[in-house]
Amino acid sequence: MASDVVAEEFTRTVEEEALHCVRCGLCLAVCPGYRESLDESDSPRARVALVRAVKEGLLEEPTEGFSNSFFRCLLCGACTFACPSGVAVDRILELTRGEMAGLSLLPPALAELDDRIAEYRNVSAEDNDGRLVWADNLPEPPTGLGKEKAEIAYFVGCVGSFFPRTYKVPQSLVQVFDRAGADYSLLGGAEWCCGYPLFLNGELDRARDMIKHNVEAVRAMGAKKVVTTCPSCFLFWKHTYPTVMGEEDLGLEVQHATEFLADLLEAGRVKLREMDETVTYHDPCDLGRKGGVTEAPRRILAQIPGLRLVEMAENRDSSHCCGGGGNLETFAPDVGQAVARSRIRQAADVGATTLVSACQQCERTLANAARAEKLRIRVKDITELVLEAME
Amino acid sequence: MTDIVAELQEAIGEEKVLSSPVDLIAYSFDGTFEQHAPEAVVLPETDEDVAAVIKVASRLEVPVVARGMSSGLAGGSIPFSGGVVVSLTRMNRILEIDEENMTVSVEAGVVTADLQAEVEKLGLFFPPDPSSNRQSTIGGNIACDAGGPRCLKYGVTGDYVLGLAVVLHDGRLLETGGKSIKNVVGYDLTSLFVGSEGTLGIITRALLRLVARPQFVRTALAYFPSLDDSSRTASAILSAGIVPATLELMDETAMTCIEEAMHLGLPLDVEAMLIIETDGSDEEAVVREIGEVARICRETGAREVKVARDEAERDTLWKARRSVSPSLARQAPNKLGEDITVPRSAIPEAIRRIRAISESYGLPMVIFGHAGDGNLHPNVLFDRRDPGQWEKVEQIVGEVFNVALELGGTLSGEHGVGTFKLPYVEQALGATSIDIQWRVKRALDPQNILNPGKVLPDT
Repeated sequence: MASDVVAEEFTRTVEEEALHCVRCGLCLAVCPGYRESLDESDSPRARVALVRAVKEGLLEEPTEGFSNSFFRCLLCGACTFACPSGVAVDRILELTRGEMAGLSLLPPALAELDDRIAEYRNVSAEDNDGRLVWADNLPEPPTGLGKEKAEIAYFVGCVGSFFPRTYKVPQSLVQVFDRAGADYSLLGGAEWCCGYPLFLNGELDRARDMIKHNVEAVRAMGAKKVVTTCPSCFLFWKHTYPTVMGEEDLGLEVQHATEFLADLLEAGRVKLREMDETVTYHDPCDLGRKGGVTEAPRRILAQIPGLRLVEMAENRDSSHCCGGGGNLETFAPDVGQAVARSRIRQAADVGATTLVSACQQCERTLANAARAEKLRIRVKDITELVLEAME
Repeated sequence: MTDIVAELQEAIGEEKVLSSPVDLIAYSFDGTFEQHAPEAVVLPETDEDVAAVIKVASRLEVPVVARGMSSGLAGGSIPFSGGVVVSLTRMNRILEIDEENMTVSVEAGVVTADLQAEVEKLGLFFPPDPSSNRQSTIGGNIACDAGGPRCLKYGVTGDYVLGLAVVLHDGRLLETGGKSIKNVVGYDLTSLFVGSEGTLGIITRALLRLVARPQFVRTALAYFPSLDDSSRTASAILSAGIVPATLELMDETAMTCIEEAMHLGLPLDVEAMLIIETDGSDEEAVVREIGEVARICRETGAREVKVARDEAERDTLWKARRSVSPSLARQAPNKLGEDITVPRSAIPEAIRRIRAISESYGLPMVIFGHAGDGNLHPNVLFDRRDPGQWEKVEQIVGEVFNVALELGGTLSGEHGVGTFKLPYVEQALGATSIDIQWRVKRALDPQNILNPGKVLPDT
């Protein structure tokens, strides 16, 4: 159900935001979805026009087709960033998705996802106490396991916790933590979905339950800092949690793992071996363009001797989505797959032998794309790379 | 209506035909504030698809409106009479780059910036640079004969078109021109289709001329306390034998608007600023020329001249010019950007008259343009929700066109006619020209189904 807050903001936003779209079409040039389909119906400009068409009575009440066009979007935010008129397209999308949820026009796959999260507290519909399975077969049990009080709460996120292919992300980070002597703890079953997927599907009320629970769980640990490896958890913790909690800040520092690692490596307390590799860095949308963290990962790469960093044509704030955004995978996988293949070709174009990202979802999506494109590019998470360099 | 959709699906396949209400809204507008929904949208992939669509439209006598990314600024690709929108965006292959003859063969839906990036990898250059080059296709650029800042030195889009493939009203494919630079056999049909805005046929492919990519660029910026001096400067530079790659003018109104929105530190006590660039393949010559440009600026009344020493400084100098659009958007919900041209020497007078018009109607206008070729972009800022304001805008536009015509110029330098300039076309061209143009139109489109209601006023 969309809350009243969302409904009110929706009205204001349509008036204030959609009206300022001058329809120049620059968003088409940066929209990864449009660039694959080459169909204006998939463009940010058309979505803004649709919102306006409903307001102006050119379209009757929103239909399933209307709703689908708002969910066939990766929510990468490239349009908002590029818009010369400063239209907050991302906001229009979020709020319209909220409206659609309120009108029961959510695509069925997404409605099921939301129900799953509400019931199981994670995206995978698995027993939430199984969040630490990945910690079972490490050479040493992580020191953060079962620790009641700690300075750092490591918020692993659903994908890292439940998707075996991405276990290596939390596995790598806890090993780095332990070698650096960090005082951290893992929340295990006390960690619930961060709430971001619910928010993206317009279900702010359901997201609010998750948010409140997670903040309490971290506070109970006496932590001063929350570190995430998932950029979406990071973005949501950092920018939405305080608003929803009605607090200016949460009395907690929210850090992405790359920020933690950049500081750690630059302090020079960890010795790194030489790596003879040509690496390109893929900026996850939620971490870079939307989260404002573009330099920390590059600072990490600069610390690894012998490693050569090459930049793809679209990088940092102008990064091209991996194709894994917007919950689209569950609803329209074809769009994301095409986008992912374009992105991995950008890596090949600059001669990268390894693509490093800082997001388990980007890694998963781009690794699949590299296989589909038959490219000999290794795809890794940056935590994995750091651990390798430490060995 | 269902007939059209069903017949189109039958002709080119269901997956290439869109007809949901949502899709029809998506294809109902261009880069302006007008809109009108079509009855169907097609996304052809071949010449044959386009021909099949035109045959269906011709049989059913419904309008056919071709478009690319629809970033036009004159309503040219809005389907005001309904019918079928033909989106050429999926015909986006670069077919051949001939390095020896310096030509490129492309499909109409190639994005202009993509085409430029591809040929530049080979040291070649496609100069026409409309500021929409990332969100417009080469087909649209040809159909509107798009320009851009580099036109003074390099010419407009039409100057680079060597040949075209055009699907005609009866579905036949017309191929014009070829790789030879000189070609005087028969009428110049290539030129006829350049700038025809989809009213004579649908351009599906083009053969374009390329030049060598200039390797060096230098940029200067100059502030002028007097508008007249800035204009004299443009002439003095050209008279000195220097043809700048760009010669961009922003007047006080534009500088104030940018400064209010962006706080770049622009001086607000000058009447104009110029951004001037020299380019070429001989670094020494390019540097010498920009030095000469700076000297001329100082001699002709510039208060301050800055020459960029590196790419970062160049970026800073361009910042103000690039900020025009975002700054305009912050001032008012709507803008109407015109693109009149006047003889170069008449620029100061044109600007003074336009500002007087703005003051008399009490609506803000912001003026910038290309000082070398006399192409000015006066933008009226307004709120379309206010009917009183809209009425004034329409009157202002008429008066601005009168200024252009009185000073020996014309209505449009690079945006085209579309529907926005229709009421003024006869005044600009004269009855004889309109009569001849209608005869051409009827010969090529006897049913009047190709983008009807555009370019030519009803007679």
